[in-house]
Amino acid sequence: MLGFVLRRALSAIPSLFGLLVVTFLLIRIVPADPAAALAGDNATPQQIAAIRHQYGFDRPVGEQLIIYIGQVFRFNFGESQYSHRPVGLDIRQRLPATLELTFGSLLFATLVGIPLGVVAGVYHNRWPDFVVRLFSITGVAIAAFWFAIMLQLLFSMQLDWLPLRGRTGTGIILPSEVTGSLLLDSLIAGRLDVFADALRHLVLPVATLSLGALASIARFTRAGVLETMQKDFVLYERAVGYPRWRLIWIYVLRNSIIAAVSQIGLLFGALIAGAVVVESIFDWPGIGNYTVQAILTADYKVMLAVTLLIGVIYTIVNILTDLTHGLLDPRLWEQL
Amino acid sequence: MQISRRQFGALAAAALAFRGQSAAAAEAGVFVAGQDLPANLDPAQVLDVQATQYALNAYDNLYRYEGNPAKMQPWLATDHTVSADGLTWEFKLREGVKFHDGSELTAEDVVYSFQRLLAIGRAPAGPLQPILKPDSVSAPARYTVRFTLAQPFGPFFAMIPMVAIVNPRAIKPNEENGDWGAKWLASNEAGSGAYRLLPAGYVPLERADLEKYDDHFMGWSDNPHPIKRIEWRPAKVTSTRVLALLNGTLDMTDSFLPVDQVERIDKSSNAHVAKNVTMRLLVIRMNNTKSPFDNLNARKAFAHSFNYSGFIDEIVKGNAVRDPVPIPNTIWGFPKDVSGYEFDLKKAKGYFDKAMGEGAPMKRPIQMHVQQPLEQTVQAGQLFQSDLATVGIDLKLVNDTFANLTSISSKAETTPDMWIHWVSAYYLDPDNWIGQMYDSKYHGTWKASCWYSNPKVDELLRKARFTTDQEDRGPLYEQAARLVVADSPDIWIYNMVEVCGVSNRVQGFRHCPVGSGGEMRWMHLSA
Repeated sequence: MLGFVLRRALSAIPSLFGLLVVTFLLIRIVPADPAAALAGDNATPQQIAAIRHQYGFDRPVGEQLIIYIGQVFRFNFGESQYSHRPVGLDIRQRLPATLELTFGSLLFATLVGIPLGVVAGVYHNRWPDFVVRLFSITGVAIAAFWFAIMLQLLFSMQLDWLPLRGRTGTGIILPSEVTGSLLLDSLIAGRLDVFADALRHLVLPVATLSLGALASIARFTRAGVLETMQKDFVLYERAVGYPRWRLIWIYVLRNSIIAAVSQIGLLFGALIAGAVVVESIFDWPGIGNYTVQAILTADYKVMLAVTLLIGVIYTIVNILTDLTHGLLDPRLWEQL
Repeated sequence: MQISRRQFGALAAAALAFRGQSAAAAEAGVFVAGQDLPANLDPAQVLDVQATQYALNAYDNLYRYEGNPAKMQPWLATDHTVSADGLTWEFKLREGVKFHDGSELTAEDVVYSFQRLLAIGRAPAGPLQPILKPDSVSAPARYTVRFTLAQPFGPFFAMIPMVAIVNPRAIKPNEENGDWGAKWLASNEAGSGAYRLLPAGYVPLERADLEKYDDHFMGWSDNPHPIKRIEWRPAKVTSTRVLALLNGTLDMTDSFLPVDQVERIDKSSNAHVAKNVTMRLLVIRMNNTKSPFDNLNARKAFAHSFNYSGFIDEIVKGNAVRDPVPIPNTIWGFPKDVSGYEFDLKKAKGYFDKAMGEGAPMKRPIQMHVQQPLEQTVQAGQLFQSDLATVGIDLKLVNDTFANLTSISSKAETTPDMWIHWVSAYYLDPDNWIGQMYDSKYHGTWKASCWYSNPKVDELLRKARFTTDQEDRGPLYEQAARLVVADSPDIWIYNMVEVCGVSNRVQGFRHCPVGSGGEMRWMHLSA
């Protein structure tokens, strides 16, 4: 297994390198002059030229690329042009919020989506199946920003049950950071008030972000269950009177879930990408929001670092997905 | 980590309390600001509306603009004198002003602040650089600052409020490689203003917490119940920003609200819209170096095709005043006799035909870049697109960001055919608008992105800039404006009425065109 992980990690390096080069060239090859944006209102042409020189924007793009790659290999992602803070520090500060949101959404989507898919598969072409199918089509079709605003209108404005935005309420003194996850850190610090507040703030963003994933997982699980239910071993076990719940929730599910697990792996990447919209609407202080700001301010080092980060996360998740396949079906180890 | 049974019970109770606890509880004495934060916190590095708002709270200036119409008020300075030749300016400082670290603010600190601004050389220094060198600022006495200008400079006094006075004792220990503390001050604060930054509560562009500075030099007797803490929590999306205002979790929005949201706020019982005439011009730029915009008749065809009154009355619902020239109609130097271009598609068609006759490629698709996420720029583009189509002009709208547009407009060949933006008030002098937009020495900056060049206009604008008497300067700007309007290099639409959503619990909101009413020391929160 270790050999597999090492092989996959090494094979990902050229892809990530390619990602870095292509992103750098795409960002820097457009006819834009970041020095002008950086100089700000009222800047003179002389000031813009000085900034261009100071940041090396006047050097050939190839030379800028080589310098940047050299920095990245030393884990130096440069400074944000605007905040003057190391991009690595900004990302470290924001990544936990995005991971909390993404993992929360994935967990919710999995815990709800798989049982829904199983129920739909077991009750094929009966009303539970119709309801789940309607839900999953709707879930995939609904635009996240629209759903988010509907949730805000209902739960924050009409019912006043849940907070509208942000990760915490005003006046909250945060516990010291251990994991970066506010839920975990508040539990570690024994701050249940903060835990409850953080949980309340997490509900609507998670509901929005997980909707499409939940629908997708339910569909894949349903398809897997339908296929497995036709297998001979199911017929045999039913014939010998094996307990129905155990048959479905252990044996049928285990044999049906491979495709859903692949989908969960792919969905993780989609959720990270989808977090851009959700974080903007809910003012969630994560990587997505940070990326939007970077795009709006043409802060290209931030854009590069975030792209690379998402590439790395995607690679790790793919490796984990393959490992999970192997655990669920040991025969697959031979193919890995 | 272990959770006891009691803790687990409390946890469950807290989770179950979701419904029982209002999600929208405003905290007494805490003002939640929804405006964007500046890209960084150093007043010498960033100059935009957000940076101005932050600096008005965290820093002080020698003089400050207050009220609307804005008037210069002595602030850290008690008064000033200027020599007959307009070259030597002396400012007397208040005694006993304390920075947030408790040290006294003296003339040496003012000298350091100006020298630092000039050395860093970013946008806030831009207008001062031609006439002020680091060694031309001095402190002849502990409470006297002297500026010796290279030549008389008309807008000098108007620019004084742009410069925030910083504390060298806080900055110098944090300098790196002669950077004047630029890296440190980008995330910290070294001022004497009415509020001070709590460094632990600052995350760039996400949040900033400021607390009331009890020892502010003005004291607080004018405001017995001031805001104790400002929690800056920018709302990125307009709908969220407005919903937060309506449910009481946010006290103030930005001043770029779309009209439908203005109506929504006006109908609510929790908040209202503060409407104030300001000095922010909306302009559609034409790249005068590209065909067909290098042809005067072509430019006039475009100028007559914009439905000014339709846009102002129907789309922005009267929250703007038609301004046909590149000078706000609320400042001296505005030529009252110039009516500008009116919406007249017949005239537009006439100029279109003339331009065609002169070989201008009027039928080529024209790209106009609009700004995301500023909806009004898109609406203006769509309205323009539909009217231009009737004239026979094919306008295509391109979504873009302000940062990218300022970036690509640094060269004539990469500047779009057309784009749309506002020009805000930073120093209240016509030079802030017509001076920087149409003097060809500013080519390469986004403000001069129409690449207009007229030697006569250059001469008038420079003469106005280097003349000190406002009586003499006004006619020069009026004359320059007439020439610019006759050349029709851009399309000037309106002077904005700022629409800012304000919670009803906020009392004492004071609007000023500089900073858009973001100075919070005058405000208090009702129960």
